[in-house]
Amino acid sequence: MTDNDASKISAFEDSATTSDSRTLAVKPRGMLAAVWMRFRRHPGAVAGSLVFSLLVLSVILVAFSPYDPETSSMGERLQPPSWAHTMGTDALGRDFLTRVLYGGRISVSVGLMVVAITLTIGVPVGAIAGYFGGWIDSILMRITDAALSLPSLLVLILLGAILREVEIPLLQRNNVVTIALVIGLLSWMTFARLVRATFLTLREMDYVTASRSLGGSSAWIIIRHILPNSVGPIIVEATLELGYAIIEESGLSFLGFGIQPPTPSWGNLLSNAQEHFTKYPWLAIFPGVMIFLSIISVNYIGDGLRDAFDPYKVLKKVGEV
Amino acid sequence: MGQYIARRLLQAVVLVFLLSIVLFALVNLAPGGPLAGHGQSRHVRPERVAMLKRQFGLDKPLPLQYVIWLAGNDWMKIDADGDGIFESYGVRKGVLRGDFGFSFRTREPVLKEIALRLPNTIYLMSVTLIVALLIAIPVGVISAVKQYSGFDILVTTVSFAGQAIPEFWLGLILILVFYAWLKNPVTGGPLLPSGGIYTLGTEFSLQDWMIHLILPVTTGALGWIAWYSRFLRSSMLDVIHQDYLRTARAKGLTERMVLYRHALRNALIPVVTMFALDVPYILSGAVYVEMIFAWPGMGRLYYQSALQRDYPVLMAILVIGAAFMILSNLLADVLYGFLDPRIRYE
Amino acid sequence: MDADKHKSLGVALFTLLALLLLASCVAKPAATEPPPPAAVQSTAETSQEQPFGETSITIVIPEDPPSFNAIVGDTGYDGLVMNLVMMGLTGVDEQGNIYPELAMKLPEVENGGVVVDEEAGTMDVTWELRQDVTWADGEPVTAKDVVFTWEAIMNPDTGIWVRGSDYVDSVEMIGTNSVVFHYNSIYPGYLTQLGGEQLVIWPSHYCDAAQGFVAWDCARQPLSNGPFLLEDWVVGDHMTFARNPNYFEVGKPYIDKIIVRIVPDEAVRKAMMLQGDADLYMWATETVLNEMEGKPEVKISMAPFSRWVMRLFPNQAAKGTTDPAASPHPVFSDVRVRKAIRIAMDVDTISQDLFLGYGKPVWTEFSRPPYECSIPRPPYDPEAAKALLEEAGWKDTDGDGIRECHGCQSAGEGDLMKVEFYTYSEYGEVLELTQQLIGEMLKNIGIDAQLSVFEGSLLWADAESGGIEQKGDFDLDLWDDGYSGVDPTDYLWELYHSEAAIPGSGWNIVRWISPEFDALLDEAYTLDEAKRKEVFCEIAQLLDEQVPVILLFSTVNAEIYSTRLEGVQSSINDLVSWNAANWKVTK
Repeated sequence: MTDNDASKISAFEDSATTSDSRTLAVKPRGMLAAVWMRFRRHPGAVAGSLVFSLLVLSVILVAFSPYDPETSSMGERLQPPSWAHTMGTDALGRDFLTRVLYGGRISVSVGLMVVAITLTIGVPVGAIAGYFGGWIDSILMRITDAALSLPSLLVLILLGAILREVEIPLLQRNNVVTIALVIGLLSWMTFARLVRATFLTLREMDYVTASRSLGGSSAWIIIRHILPNSVGPIIVEATLELGYAIIEESGLSFLGFGIQPPTPSWGNLLSNAQEHFTKYPWLAIFPGVMIFLSIISVNYIGDGLRDAFDPYKVLKKVGEV
Repeated sequence: MGQYIARRLLQAVVLVFLLSIVLFALVNLAPGGPLAGHGQSRHVRPERVAMLKRQFGLDKPLPLQYVIWLAGNDWMKIDADGDGIFESYGVRKGVLRGDFGFSFRTREPVLKEIALRLPNTIYLMSVTLIVALLIAIPVGVISAVKQYSGFDILVTTVSFAGQAIPEFWLGLILILVFYAWLKNPVTGGPLLPSGGIYTLGTEFSLQDWMIHLILPVTTGALGWIAWYSRFLRSSMLDVIHQDYLRTARAKGLTERMVLYRHALRNALIPVVTMFALDVPYILSGAVYVEMIFAWPGMGRLYYQSALQRDYPVLMAILVIGAAFMILSNLLADVLYGFLDPRIRYE
Repeated sequence: MDADKHKSLGVALFTLLALLLLASCVAKPAATEPPPPAAVQSTAETSQEQPFGETSITIVIPEDPPSFNAIVGDTGYDGLVMNLVMMGLTGVDEQGNIYPELAMKLPEVENGGVVVDEEAGTMDVTWELRQDVTWADGEPVTAKDVVFTWEAIMNPDTGIWVRGSDYVDSVEMIGTNSVVFHYNSIYPGYLTQLGGEQLVIWPSHYCDAAQGFVAWDCARQPLSNGPFLLEDWVVGDHMTFARNPNYFEVGKPYIDKIIVRIVPDEAVRKAMMLQGDADLYMWATETVLNEMEGKPEVKISMAPFSRWVMRLFPNQAAKGTTDPAASPHPVFSDVRVRKAIRIAMDVDTISQDLFLGYGKPVWTEFSRPPYECSIPRPPYDPEAAKALLEEAGWKDTDGDGIRECHGCQSAGEGDLMKVEFYTYSEYGEVLELTQQLIGEMLKNIGIDAQLSVFEGSLLWADAESGGIEQKGDFDLDLWDDGYSGVDPTDYLWELYHSEAAIPGSGWNIVRWISPEFDALLDEAYTLDEAKRKEVFCEIAQLLDEQVPVILLFSTVNAEIYSTRLEGVQSSINDLVSWNAANWKVTK
């Protein structure tokens, strides 16, 4: 895909959300405030934020659960959902709700870490490539393209299979950090491209020329002028990336190459359920519901953010649309 | 254009080559290897390990192993029986001549293992893609044309949901509902089968094959439908408001002609290129579906080979997958240039 | 976007959420038992259309055998099909009795088949072959084939080790139908030297010795001298076997055709059994047995004894080392600790609940004939375990539930009683759950176990490839092991002899060094059965006192077969097809 396309495609997405005439009538009191106001008007985004906050809250508060996720209770094995056990019990009699929420900790942590990693790699790569252009851009884009040419799930499986036997400090046997690194290493490219596209357009802006003629260094210009204006699409993409990362981790753990038991993760809880879920369906239903709720809430938040930032504005200025 | 394609092809070859080196290094890094735990006895003896290492060529230094993988070893003498004397020529021709080696697990040629499974994956995924597009395109178009209608809202919401449902979970739930819970009113058995391409041991029956397709295709297609209907909707919306359509309408063309002859064709352009880019995900997407529905395809083969560290098969699938992705990227660019007269490459 | 539309979106979202909450109510099992997975097709025809009068059965297995050479592939599926077409000198039945196959009779000292030179400590075993067995191409089976097979296997390039081969000096043909094995020591396991589970006699005129035993083509296109002939093999799909009209047992086999179908998916195999599309399900696991038990369409055959015993391996050398004298393990080098762990294990719960009653508690290696020894079963007594640990110098002074060393044998003062606990993944969820349960039992007596699951191939790899057991890179491991056949001598050596503790030489991975054991085992190399029994029971005593390995329970060895099939008998000494010639179809 050429650079044109990346921006064209995001333009397609955005043009569907034609600007709300009411927004233009109100004088924005600063970008962030305006963003927040628009975000609040988006019921989907608000609902999404609520759900996601609830989720995060519950995985934090599970520490106060009366049940221990590791202690078995053989007398209560495989019970369907009841008042005592909202999500039933698992094969060792452990409260499933507790286990699912602990699994949530893992899955959400991996997700957040992946976002951090992809931002850390992708943004600088895209920024440098987009700003400097020329041979730097060429090389960086070659690397990005090469990384994009790897069939990502297959490579994830391979890395997961290798690393789950490896034990070095910090990266023990597919713990949260390892999985996050592995997924992150294969997903930073979207950010790189996005940032590069934004930078390519933004660097032609008048204020950039002005700054340069005033003697501003490249780093200064990047950090002080361009980056803040490109923050919109980055934040939107980061939110969507969170959802993507959670699904990838769950999928990988489901296959057995991600988070290893006995540490619970939504993915490996689903995998454990596979053996007899037709008899004990709650073991398969709930972890999936949690994944679904996280993703959909995150996607609604992302959608709301996209509307709120309205990067349409940026591209409009350049006369693209 | 021709020059552009030639240049890109050359770059593609170099890229595949470099990727193969990286992947080869990764694949062979894994500790453990295919040597132990084989078979029933836990206690594998050192002579057997040595013999297996020799057989699999794992006793050679890694760079040499890569060269053999690439170019074969029938041009060099090898020591087949481990007595230190290099007496016979090897039998492998190497990847460059189409020989991907032998599977550690079954001792069959890798390409044969792949050839046995590839048609099944292509079969499943083509049906999935076709079904997905057949549903997504009309849905997306109608959604765009009737923007803000009840239909549109329903579609948008369902798409949102559809993109949030993990494929592997969907498969399990579908099996739960259609195989475990719902019953076939005639036979009293499950409504739909839980896996396989056809009911084993029976004669070929089109009906049987179609019934076995229902659940896996639904599982695989839902995400695609969700994504493509939204995408097409955006694309259509963008096109619908263009000036040239207004001109066409002013000229007196019916709305339908406007839609199909102009709007849809132009709206499809980015979809086609997007699609060309997505095609390689056939392989990745197949992994979950094939695993859950016991479909004997490439995805499942890859998964099993990863579990048992069957290096030759892993390498073959990875390299073929990478080549496929690179080529489809090229195809997408060329297609885009071809379809959109505004874009020209030199 | 329009605000109204947003509201609708929001409503839609909430409705979705509500629906999902409802899902949790529905998540109670709709049926109390799994529905019978009957066929989808509405026609009542079974898949086994047979020409009038021909009897045919179908065996389902999950993967293709790599070849017909069981000792090379070692997958079990190769053994299954090998039994159908080829025979060894002897076979072993489900009770452990050895019977002659290609041999005329079993050579014993009494009948002159075995000649012992007491002074030199050597012996000669003479095998007389049957003269009525022919290969499918008409050639008779002769002593030449025996010698040919032995030499092909013994070729050092094969890397194949056969029990007792270290003691065989040479194999000689003395007449068309007689072979003599010259042993350089008294080896009691001579009866299955070229027989039993994985060894058969190969045709010298058909197999190409130049290709080598490991890779010869005749292992994929076998020449049969057994009850069935290989008719065709469609790799990945099925193998067809037809009755061998020239089989030496007149009238047998009773079945005309055997089809072996490759069906990777367990659910499909189960369904096929219940629908009547398959007649024999090999190696049924506990869960499958539990599901199928009681169903009218199938019967279950369980081996009378068990081979695989799940056990805990406490490393007596420090993690990462292999010399227990130089670097004893801080926790497990003390026999009192090992004994304490043994009585803290609630084996009944594990075998009843997790293994669905199919696991049987086992506490000694000598629990099946002919070498049963009566060792009292260790009780389940966590309190006594705690007391034992206190006595061993492990006390919990800071009240955190984990003991520390205060005057213990090999650890530093104040060191925590913390260990890494490994098991392997291939067995499945049941084993992982067992590991978690055992981890809790350990915690209960004050030992902190950190659980990890490894791939079996990493656990059992050789030391060079990073094999965890061989390198001693573990504290406590959980996996199953056991010997096949009747003779435990070689297995005992591999597991407990001091020389077997050297990496690469054996499987004494717990690094238990006991000169007493070594001496006792030496005495077992005699043909005097009474003496052997005595020695083994002394060894049993020793192992019970020293607890180098903590035995827990045995796992099931069973097959499921259709009610129309008769004669199927599961056995730990061979694959279920060992007596296929005797199977009958009744309906």
